[in-house]
Amino acid sequence: MNLPILKQADLLIVTLPESLTDGDWRALKDELLARVGKHRSRGVVIDASVMDVMDSYATRLVDSMARMLKLRGASTVVVGIQPGVAFAMAQLGLKLPAAQTALDLDEGLELLRR
Amino acid sequence: MNTSIAHARPLEPTAADIEKRLAYVDFGDVERDSLKVIAPLVTPSVEALTARFFEYLGKFPEAQALVRDPVRFETARRLKREHLRAMVAGPFDQKYVADRLELARVYAAAGIENRVFIGAFQHLISAIGALIAERAKTGDAALAFKSFMVLQRIAFFDLTLITDALVSERERTIRQQQDAIRELSTPVLQVRDRLLIVPLVGVVDSHRARELTEGMLRAIRDRRAKAVVMDVTGVPIVDSKVANHFAQACEAARLMGAHVILTGISAEIAQAMVTIGAELEGVPTVSDLQDGIEEAEKLLGVRANGAAA
Repeated sequence: MNLPILKQADLLIVTLPESLTDGDWRALKDELLARVGKHRSRGVVIDASVMDVMDSYATRLVDSMARMLKLRGASTVVVGIQPGVAFAMAQLGLKLPAAQTALDLDEGLELLRR
Repeated sequence: MNTSIAHARPLEPTAADIEKRLAYVDFGDVERDSLKVIAPLVTPSVEALTARFFEYLGKFPEAQALVRDPVRFETARRLKREHLRAMVAGPFDQKYVADRLELARVYAAAGIENRVFIGAFQHLISAIGALIAERAKTGDAALAFKSFMVLQRIAFFDLTLITDALVSERERTIRQQQDAIRELSTPVLQVRDRLLIVPLVGVVDSHRARELTEGMLRAIRDRRAKAVVMDVTGVPIVDSKVANHFAQACEAARLMGAHVILTGISAEIAQAMVTIGAELEGVPTVSDLQDGIEEAEKLLGVRANGAAA
């Protein structure tokens, strides 16, 4: 699956689909890391609003991706985590320490532009 | 869920249950025959015995709710008269049991405790005993004593029913109240743009914590909240489990981009939490609701200024 990555000024925006395969995750990570360098982006917004499950695997991948992006000079905001997903993650003790979180895309963009 | 519904049903013994209960007090066909000796003694005195019973009961302040309420009192007297007639005549069937339970429910509704009722009941049995003793002076004393002992068995049979009914009635009330408390929704209030308040009152168990957290998360999304002040002044116990629920709620809110501030942890609860090692890791806490709101506004204010600039 080739996920569209949108460039908006000095930010990148990607929307995660309902589910991703291992290959999709790897491709997404490589693409983001490359594009951050190419566009000299300051931040990445990952929209998780259509995902209805964030398990420990997905959480770890997103978090490590955020850490890698940080090393390339871009901060990551995960936006749109749904109430049920957030609750399940909290119950499983899953956190996203390397990424910031925001309610939706608007909030995420505002957070990165500050 | 199913078990609580089963428990909430009033006591309704089946014919087999009644047989068992009679067997517990060792009441059989022989005893049934013996009762016939007492019946002619008790039946003419039903009115007097009933009056005596309630006069005795009425001496206790705990029973005033019954004797002062004309409707209840009349029902109780009617049932007691029927009781006295039936307990020396039988049959000890489902109708007998249903009547006993009905009377027990009248007592329960009037708030009469087991101990008060049992005391009055023993007074009643003593009064019947006195009647039998009076008659025995001129007749067969041994037979009179034997028949009184048979009556005693029926009295204990009645007691098993009535105490069970009073207990199950009380359990039912407790269960209903528990359900009512559980169903009390936890309100999520909006104080100002993007600021919510969740005032928690009452015991927080796993079930309630779940509903509360879900409600809060939905409110965060629907009202686009950035800060939530959770006030726990009304929560009587915070153990490690409850603390964990709070921490989870805060973490879940954080994942949605909102900050939760916990307020209202009393001195006692703070001490208890530290003593038992209940942690609230990563949850900002301030002393009271006012401080919580100020803190949240600071949080929002900084952001609002940043956005405006």
